[in-house]
Amino acid sequence: MKDLIQPWKEGSAKNITFIVTKDCQLACKYCYLVGKNEKERMPWSVAKAAIDYVLDREKDPNFAYESVIWDFIGGEPFLEIDLIDKICDYIKTELFRRNHHWFSSFRFSFSTNGINYHSEKVQKFIEKNHSHLSVGITIDGTRRKHDLNRVYKNSEKGSYDDVVKNIPLWQSQFPSDGTKVTISSADIPYICESVLHLYDLGIHQVNINCVFEDVWKEGDDKLFDEQLMTLADKIIDGGKYVDNACSFFSENLGKPMDCKLQNGNWCGSGKMLSIDAAGNFYPCTRFAQYSLRDKEAWIIGNIHDGIDNNKLRPFLTLDRCTQSTPECIDCEVAEGCAWCQGENYDAAKTHTVFQRATAICKMHKARVRANNYYWNKLYRKLELEGKREEFEKNHPNVKPDIC
Amino acid sequence: MKSYLQYLVILLDDTSVAYCHADNPLKERNLIPIDTLRKAILFGMKENLMIQYVYPDYELPAEYEEVIESIDNVKIGREVQVLTEVPKFIDKDNVVLRLTISDFISKSFDIAALLPQVKRMNICIRDVENFKDEMQEDYKRALNTLCSVLANLYKSGKQPQVNILTDRLSLTEMHNCEAGIGNITIAPNGKFYLCPAFYYDEKMGLSNRMNHKTKDSSRSVGDLNNGLNIPNKQLLQLDHAPLCHICDAYHCNRCIWLNQKLTWDNNTPSHQQCVMAHLERNACRSLQLDLIKVGNLSVEPIKEINYLDPFDVKEDF
Amino acid sequence: MNKKKVGQVTVEEKNEIQTLFERRNGLNELAKILTAENAELYEKLIKDMGETGTKFQNWWDRMSQKYQWESIEGGNWEINFDTCDIYLVNN
Repeated sequence: MKDLIQPWKEGSAKNITFIVTKDCQLACKYCYLVGKNEKERMPWSVAKAAIDYVLDREKDPNFAYESVIWDFIGGEPFLEIDLIDKICDYIKTELFRRNHHWFSSFRFSFSTNGINYHSEKVQKFIEKNHSHLSVGITIDGTRRKHDLNRVYKNSEKGSYDDVVKNIPLWQSQFPSDGTKVTISSADIPYICESVLHLYDLGIHQVNINCVFEDVWKEGDDKLFDEQLMTLADKIIDGGKYVDNACSFFSENLGKPMDCKLQNGNWCGSGKMLSIDAAGNFYPCTRFAQYSLRDKEAWIIGNIHDGIDNNKLRPFLTLDRCTQSTPECIDCEVAEGCAWCQGENYDAAKTHTVFQRATAICKMHKARVRANNYYWNKLYRKLELEGKREEFEKNHPNVKPDIC
Repeated sequence: MKSYLQYLVILLDDTSVAYCHADNPLKERNLIPIDTLRKAILFGMKENLMIQYVYPDYELPAEYEEVIESIDNVKIGREVQVLTEVPKFIDKDNVVLRLTISDFISKSFDIAALLPQVKRMNICIRDVENFKDEMQEDYKRALNTLCSVLANLYKSGKQPQVNILTDRLSLTEMHNCEAGIGNITIAPNGKFYLCPAFYYDEKMGLSNRMNHKTKDSSRSVGDLNNGLNIPNKQLLQLDHAPLCHICDAYHCNRCIWLNQKLTWDNNTPSHQQCVMAHLERNACRSLQLDLIKVGNLSVEPIKEINYLDPFDVKEDF
Repeated sequence: MNKKKVGQVTVEEKNEIQTLFERRNGLNELAKILTAENAELYEKLIKDMGETGTKFQNWWDRMSQKYQWESIEGGNWEINFDTCDIYLVNN
């Protein structure tokens, strides 16, 4: 299997996210954003104050990173293309004017539903900033899989046709950028056909994840296992592992883990900074109120008062074993089992980020079984063809996709 | 080693005296029903717990005192005196001084003068959140003032204890407040709380965040009818506190109420709590060196360290 | 287009050229939005573009001298930032 492209400057880049709008054309059924609305659009004054706050603190430990990724999310970020354009121009100009070290190492990153990707304004923006852009369009697979969840908010009409028509343009502009596919209970029967469909569309990087929320029904793990086995057969028998990558299959998966040597946290919450339309700061977007079902927002400061570092301390001291249950710690297939810190917080019995949500457990175990099958089958095929050594030499380990 | 439940704190009234970091904002009397008191004592007896009564400032009815004396106990607000001002004289052996940080700093000489009069003095800062890094030198100086007097007293054969300065002298492992694991509080409503501060917050309708009103302010962790039910209890244990786990300010309160107020997670101490505890630890180290030198103490020496907040060196552990 | 691996540089050397490469891209994109009306910044930009271009060329001169990579008439070298590999590309 081809290697998944690693996130740019992973580990050495500060991720700063602008929640430019909480509005979206779609109302995806699995969307974790429970508080989307049309009112909370970021004013330019807030965006500017946030940029100034960050750039004024080049040496502050919270921002002393080699590189920076300015992330734009929503809702649908491209609904606010005028604001985004202004923000990006200001960032570039200010980085240069201030001789900030990030001028030689920055990116603008977007995760879009792709609906207005072809619009003149978006295209003009892309042309202007192309060498610093990373753009991911979310397409969930085949029409029936995509339209099952990704529907327009007012009509319930599926959005597949409006997205797929923009895929060739996107692929021509960002050939190495991939798509993110989300799997919920109802999507399981369509996993195999969807991944193959995305490959056929020319998308070689498919980052696919099960939702972390407690949505899984009795028997879902068995169905999931079967889908992944079928997908494994199709990829291997069809030789699709040469040019394509799918995050479900990874060699670094399904082994026991050591609490001393492998005790890192899964995600970068706390090391990121999210800013909303009101100018509030969050350790990650998932801690903003519109992302939370049952808990209060975890606001760590704002553009006026700055960051309250006490509110960041739990995030920056989080490790794997402290937040895990004894069952997770002793799990024989723990490696690669992901969690979302925001979902952990939202689902926790108390006000804490130290309680790991385990709704995904049976799905991870099913994934591990199918993953083992995949690699055993692939390596046997390569051995019989005398190509294993060459494959192993040219094939770096696939790292799981981390939000 | 995991802690186990040893103490039951019984708030006899809503206006029972505050004796730790949290002020008691409740002004209306609400005496614990006598049946609830009896049930609480029974719970303590069956769980083999040491009872600590927390008294209000008024006399209790005689029938209460009779029930209270049905078991061995400690009386906070009676035999343990709790003060929020620094007095000229103290007539109890055991005193709790609940002071603001600025009062502690500005009145350190007056506090030091009280040391010959007591066997034990617990100093509790009521506004830890107001401690600023700029106050470090002042706090250090105030601690050293007390240490000088303590050193002289120890050398002359007297050994008064001051929680923030002498507890650490001989500790070789964490010895903290342990609310929820070493002790539990029963309030006049018959419900359990991790400590009195959580009861005050519930009554005031506060969330677990400083001065933040919330729809659901419930803070109880069980009641006398159904027993204790502490969700995420493991997070109260030392091995589930990543920062405290690597720390050697063994005397620190590790106040989970302050943790929740300031960092929003009850296993994570604030910068203020860590820095203050380390300044105390370092002052204790000076006192320890002084006492070891003159042969008044034979204990494991406290190491010299170059940080005040374990958060700053967490990668090194 | 023919592409052939002809050598490799160290990670530190790669970092140096990657930073210059990123800076050059940043300057080019900044040039699209800065006008001569913003005289001070515009002059700073022009000066930086010149300096960065020179540093960029110096790096290739220095490295090719150090490693003595294979070259051909009409070809040019490329670097893969992920692997530090140097390729000879013949268009």
